[in-house]
Amino acid sequence: MNSFDWGVIWYSIPYLLQGAVVTLEISALAMVFGTVIGISAGLLSLSDMKLITLVVRAYVYFVRGTPALVQVFLVYFALPEFGLELSSFWSGVVALSFNAGGFIAEIVRSGLQSIDAGQTEAAKAIGMTNRQGILYILLPQSLRRITPPLTNEVITLVKSSSLLSVISIVELTRAAQAIIAAKFTPFELYALLAVFYLVMISALSKLSEYVEARLA
Amino acid sequence: MRASPYLLAIRGLSKIYSGVPVVDRVDLNVSSGEIVMVIGPSGAGKSTVLRCINRIEVPSEGDIVLAGVNMEGEPRNGKIVPDSPAQTARKRRQIGMVFQRFNLFAHLTALDNVAIGPHRVLGTPLAEARKMAAEHLDRVRLSEHMAKRPAQLSGGQQQRVAIARALAMRPILMLFDEPTSALDPELVGEVLEVIQGLAREGMTMLVVTHEMQFAREVGTRLVFMADGRVVEDTSPEIFFTRPAHDRSREFLRRVNSRQSAFDPV
Ligand SMILES: Nc1ncnc2c1ncn2[C@@H]1O[C@H](COP(=O)(O)OP(=O)(O)OP(=O)(O)O)[C@@H](O)[C@H]1O
Ligand SMILES: [Mg+2]
Repeated sequence: MNSFDWGVIWYSIPYLLQGAVVTLEISALAMVFGTVIGISAGLLSLSDMKLITLVVRAYVYFVRGTPALVQVFLVYFALPEFGLELSSFWSGVVALSFNAGGFIAEIVRSGLQSIDAGQTEAAKAIGMTNRQGILYILLPQSLRRITPPLTNEVITLVKSSSLLSVISIVELTRAAQAIIAAKFTPFELYALLAVFYLVMISALSKLSEYVEARLA
Repeated sequence: MRASPYLLAIRGLSKIYSGVPVVDRVDLNVSSGEIVMVIGPSGAGKSTVLRCINRIEVPSEGDIVLAGVNMEGEPRNGKIVPDSPAQTARKRRQIGMVFQRFNLFAHLTALDNVAIGPHRVLGTPLAEARKMAAEHLDRVRLSEHMAKRPAQLSGGQQQRVAIARALAMRPILMLFDEPTSALDPELVGEVLEVIQGLAREGMTMLVVTHEMQFAREVGTRLVFMADGRVVEDTSPEIFFTRPAHDRSREFLRRVNSRQSAFDPV
């Protein structure tokens, strides 16, 4: 431990802070899009139209059945094939939103399905459509059950964003790696990197506890 | 198409679960204003008949016709063109249903449990829906409990909210599936009173019940079911004094011996 280079730590902090900003930007965007995609897909998974539920199931199946890293590469290389030229930043946002959306869809679906079947029957009995029953009866009751796994997913999202270093987005992990390549101090940098993630994720956990407490 | 004189016509209704007919070719015609008590042993298919009427359960066979309208779809050239889910939902509005376990919406106050149907389904503005809901709750004597959630209400109160919730949709037929079976004995009376009140106002009802005294006093007609079939369809007076079938006699004997355990004279 006596070879620990404190100098490189002080040197690195400003760069990592810049990387952390990018990480937070991407995570925040992916959180918003992923939540919108996920809640929509989760609600649609209970649709009374077979085709829609099949599409949602295929989506969730794919997201859960493939590594996030593969999804990142796939989005990065596949989108241009479809004529969508995105910056690597936005490719990253798309990939993470796509990934989070799949997991959130599953969270929402199981939350909705955990509500007693009698609630759905009562909704039907007063003439509600399937959609009305989901929106006005099941969703409000499942919100409290959905929130904890949902905030968990946001934390996973921040961690997954480190994968985007592979498509040359200078987020937090990539920023650290760039310094390692120049200064050959992997231990110091990865230790510092871990601290950065810990601080961000602890802050997020506190925030989610607060949100959950407000909802309870 | 000849117009049916009946408010509700059930023809050849069957429901088959994995090869077993739990409801087996049931025919039942109900005229406006009739109060049909449905009794029978556990597993007879009573709940399933009720649930098929408003299509919470999809019948395997048979027709349900409510006020001349087929609940499954529109007949065309001798065949039935099935309704869309939205059309089914629209037809269901006309039928109120009260469940054994109340099934009140757990996240809503008593008032909003009653108001949500008119508001969301019929498009009544919320303020107006709530005003009408308050009147419905007043009718079941729950004015003081309007702001409470279901968990804060007794079983009897919950069931009265559930009745108000169904009535708020202005149904032309009410279905009750053992409305007092989940209640403590001292709470049964308040719910039966409300149902009796409805009967007096002329509401057409099908009531599945184990309350024999109530069935006898309030029913205008009595249907005894066993093994998925209607065994006896008669007046309560005749059923309880001169049952025509062995199954009925056996059932009554068992019910009487059970009740005497509560009431040893
Ligand atoms: N969803 C289902 N799947 C399979 N079998 C079912 C289903 N619902 C009901 N059954 C069976 O159908 C039969 C009739 O049930 P039903 O609930 O209609 O009887 P019931 O007369 O209402 O009895 P109880 O007095 O106990 O309420 C029972 O044997 C039951 O096990
Ligand atoms: Mg039953």
